[in-house]
Amino acid sequence: MSPEGDKKNWVGKPLPRKEENRLLRGRGKFADDIKMREMLYLRFVRSPYAHAKIVSVDVSAAEAVPGVVCTLTGAEVAPQVQPFIEIAPDPGGKIKDYALAVSKVRYQGEPVAAVMAESPGIADDAAELVQVEYEALDPVVDAEEALKDASILHEEAGTNRVWNGVFEYGDVEKALKEAASVVSIDRLHFHRFSSTPLENNVVIAQWNPKDERIYYWCNNSFPSFAIQFLSAHLNVHIDRIRVETSDIGGSFGIKITSYPQMAVCALASKKAGGRPIKWVETRSEHITSSAHGNERTFRDTRVALDKDGVITAIASRHIDDCGAYPRYEPLGCVIWSQVFPGVYRFKNARIDFTQTVTNKCPVGPNRGYSRMQHLWFLERVVDICAHELGIPADEMRLRNYIRPEEFPYTTPNGCVYDSGNYPKMLQVAKGLIGWDDWKKKQAAARKEGHLIGLGIGTTLDSGTNNFGQSQIVNPGAPFSGNSQGANCKLDIYGEVVVAVGSCPQGQGHETTAAQVVADVLNIHPDLITVRTGFDTERNVHTGFSGTYASQFAVSGLSAVHGAAQKLKAEMKRLAAFVLETQEDDIEFGTGAQGPELRAKSTGKSINYWGLANIVNVNSAVLPVEMHDVTLNCRYIWRAPFKVPDKVRKYGNLTLTYASQLHIAVVEIDRDTFIPHILDYVAVDDCGTVINPPIVEGQVYGATAHGIGAALMESCVYDAVGNMLTSTFSDYTPITAVNMPKVKYGHIETPSPHSYSGAKGMGEGGAAPIHTISAALQDALFAEGIIVDDSFNNADSLFRAMVGKEIGQVGKLVKLERRAQ
Amino acid sequence: MYPRAFHYHRASSLKEAVAMLSQLGDDAKLLAGGQSLIPLMKLRFANPQHLVDLNFVPGTSYIKEEGGALRFGALTRHAEIENSATAAKIPILHDCAAGIADVQVRNRGTIGGSLAEADPSGDWAVVLMTLSTEVCCLGAKKTRTVPLSDFIKDAYTTALAHDELVSEVVVKAPPKGSGGAYIAFKRSAPVYPTASAAVQLIMDGDVCKDVVIALGCVGLTAIKAKDAEAALRGQRITDKALSAAMEAARAAADPQSDMRGSTDYKRALVGALVKRAIEVAMRRAHGEQVEVGHIYA
Repeated sequence: MSPEGDKKNWVGKPLPRKEENRLLRGRGKFADDIKMREMLYLRFVRSPYAHAKIVSVDVSAAEAVPGVVCTLTGAEVAPQVQPFIEIAPDPGGKIKDYALAVSKVRYQGEPVAAVMAESPGIADDAAELVQVEYEALDPVVDAEEALKDASILHEEAGTNRVWNGVFEYGDVEKALKEAASVVSIDRLHFHRFSSTPLENNVVIAQWNPKDERIYYWCNNSFPSFAIQFLSAHLNVHIDRIRVETSDIGGSFGIKITSYPQMAVCALASKKAGGRPIKWVETRSEHITSSAHGNERTFRDTRVALDKDGVITAIASRHIDDCGAYPRYEPLGCVIWSQVFPGVYRFKNARIDFTQTVTNKCPVGPNRGYSRMQHLWFLERVVDICAHELGIPADEMRLRNYIRPEEFPYTTPNGCVYDSGNYPKMLQVAKGLIGWDDWKKKQAAARKEGHLIGLGIGTTLDSGTNNFGQSQIVNPGAPFSGNSQGANCKLDIYGEVVVAVGSCPQGQGHETTAAQVVADVLNIHPDLITVRTGFDTERNVHTGFSGTYASQFAVSGLSAVHGAAQKLKAEMKRLAAFVLETQEDDIEFGTGAQGPELRAKSTGKSINYWGLANIVNVNSAVLPVEMHDVTLNCRYIWRAPFKVPDKVRKYGNLTLTYASQLHIAVVEIDRDTFIPHILDYVAVDDCGTVINPPIVEGQVYGATAHGIGAALMESCVYDAVGNMLTSTFSDYTPITAVNMPKVKYGHIETPSPHSYSGAKGMGEGGAAPIHTISAALQDALFAEGIIVDDSFNNADSLFRAMVGKEIGQVGKLVKLERRAQ
Repeated sequence: MYPRAFHYHRASSLKEAVAMLSQLGDDAKLLAGGQSLIPLMKLRFANPQHLVDLNFVPGTSYIKEEGGALRFGALTRHAEIENSATAAKIPILHDCAAGIADVQVRNRGTIGGSLAEADPSGDWAVVLMTLSTEVCCLGAKKTRTVPLSDFIKDAYTTALAHDELVSEVVVKAPPKGSGGAYIAFKRSAPVYPTASAAVQLIMDGDVCKDVVIALGCVGLTAIKAKDAEAALRGQRITDKALSAAMEAARAAADPQSDMRGSTDYKRALVGALVKRAIEVAMRRAHGEQVEVGHIYA
């Protein structure tokens, strides 16, 4: 690195978060903190039915309530708007999605009408008076039932099937024919769960009649996507929509799909003559009708293995349940294929992938989105095959892992895994947990009748999407690549101000962006102000801007780094002019008058104020040939992607692949059937670490989320589509009392695909779900039970172990050994 | 959501609260800790016209030891009982108070409110059923004392007349040689248990002289498991006796299937909890200091 290159003084340091002071003292600024003159409060009227025809909606009693300003119904809204964009090709593309149900309701909790009033209490009172007459229709809550099309949700599509495609690589039939053994698994199921951010969805919208613009203050986590949908839906020029976000209390992806509620708020404001409308979602609304994670069923799996237990092929049929409306889907139908072979080397595979609608809450991208379902499936396959062949779970993985020397590794579907070292992670994790000791304890405990299991989960957190993968689900989709914008400037008095098109929800972007710029300019990060939170008016967003999909460390910080480099070059050029020397004589540092640029030869210097002064308010001293120096540098980073081959479904779909290896030791109590985590290790590899405590915090958070999903959190519907887990009393999100002590470890395999070697992280691949399933499976093999579901609580373990209702190995798994 | 509009009345004495109840009629509800009532009102499942707030009545929160009994003011918060050395003299009371929901709920919720609500999943009724407990009911004309077993009639139904309120809860200290324990399985801290078991017994050496066993969350009210008690009473507590008690407890349970668990599972679970509670109660009866907490998922 040249002396003028970035010195890594700050990147990699455990710098305390700049956000901490504000957030921990309760001084964060959240959307609901905003109060505006003449603001009205919106309350939705929601469907109690999962599937019903709307016969009539009578808002007269609600409108008669003093303090109610207006109401909106689906029938009133539909003629004013275009249905939302559907990403699916036909028939899924024919689905007509409106923000308020028009002629039918398709899930319990679907908004049917909205009431706008002077206070939230009045809006609640009036919403109860809206009379909706329904005619019940047959609900369909099971994905495989839905595909029979006996009851169709969207008549215009004519089928419940949203999407179907076959992902086939290599020669599966040949591999199956030549296999030493073939393991068949009838059915595996990944359950529906969601996220429980501390802050629910909040939207404030104003359709201002004075300038005919729509202003949003909200906590949507992918605003550049939302404005594309809103602009088309509302028939409003996209530049007329301004979106600002401030602090956000968690999203985990599910705040991406708040755009329908954003649309209703804007239309309500228009009807109310431009008065601002605030909608604050209640917790029950959030659980029943914001967004859930994708549910997936894996059918008819056949696995070919050679004589050493090396997997040579997998064939399977996957059915994804996206709930009542596809919305962000069917992107999930391709996003799983970013991790097509998981961490394994097999080359032959055929996955027949179908997505269906059902009468349940629509899904949205939920931490680990679409990949975790597939990774869970692969880990179940690996453990079941290992057991059938009598190979220990750790040994099975070592035989099948992609090897460290094979990176960058091209998967059968053309994805390029940038770097990784799975055997080393396994070794580190085994060391931390004391694998051999636990093995001994397990054997001793088994003799006394105790059910202890050790489980390994190896997962990938693919970050920075190639949006070209949308063309694999819809060849007409106008998206590809990925980009992010940032701006770095010296403000008029010489302050360094960075703006970036992300909207962090606890990921510490203000801190990590400052670390990057501090290294470029060789100053202390405290001297750098970072503006996060989305604002269309800052002009630093691209169509991909937002905070989602484990990418800030790559896309966001690459943009920040690019902008800082541009600024640095301009500063150097200007300083060389002022100090009457050559650019290579200039050095960056901090002097008596703050951060400055120095001429090494003369010792003369100019501080940041001096430079900013010349450009901004003293510009007559600037010669014409330097008029292009603005000290206000915008940079758009673009990921080096190509458009994938749509026919072969082949191409690199993600830039970086962080990996996780977790090990859990779980005991199932013989009397109470309650699974207890006795020991837990999480080893993470996200390449070069920018800020260790931030990374560690993300690992703990993702681990808690995953443990909750594995043992406690499930969105349960009854046979007619009533959601049975609509409050925290029933959904039981994980809290501190449920968390085991997590031992954390990490390795670093720097990514060759990012400028800093960092990989996106934060989703954590939902590693605990695979890991806990694996540990339970290890405990239960001897009982003849297969862990065939990603959700396992005391009740389901009881039903498997005592009731023999579920997970019976004889019914689900078949091993065929061939004479070689 | 916001509750429907209601009239708020602040009582300055329990007598005044009773008078308010008489005057306001059936549409009035008492507000004690509010840990059930307020969430129900926010979800608009409960829509009382009037709330009579007891929280500003002086002298309603206390724990006194008097004449071989502990007396709890009706508005004594769970947290006060959790942290009281006096209450800890009956260890099962501490087990209960320290395990109710989460810290926030324990800081607000009251023992009197919990009994008067008679939620089938409430903790206090299960525990107090294993002790000699009386509920003092203050009415417009007189105060009457009702044994707990007569106080709770059914789910959400007590012996209280509309214009009566719980003023005090009196728990007789168990005799020497007693031990008790309360163990629940809760999926997470803030939620009601899936099932719970309270055991209070008297040991004479290794023979169980007497025992009371109560089951929670597996019926419309707390259930006294009489056959399980009979399996232990006058017996040495052997593995066989324990198993018999466990099976008898399972037979006594009458659980409903819900999100907390299926009928069969809850039945299996409550037996296991009874067994565990007996073991702890025995050790305590023998003078051992045993810390016991609820089981969480």
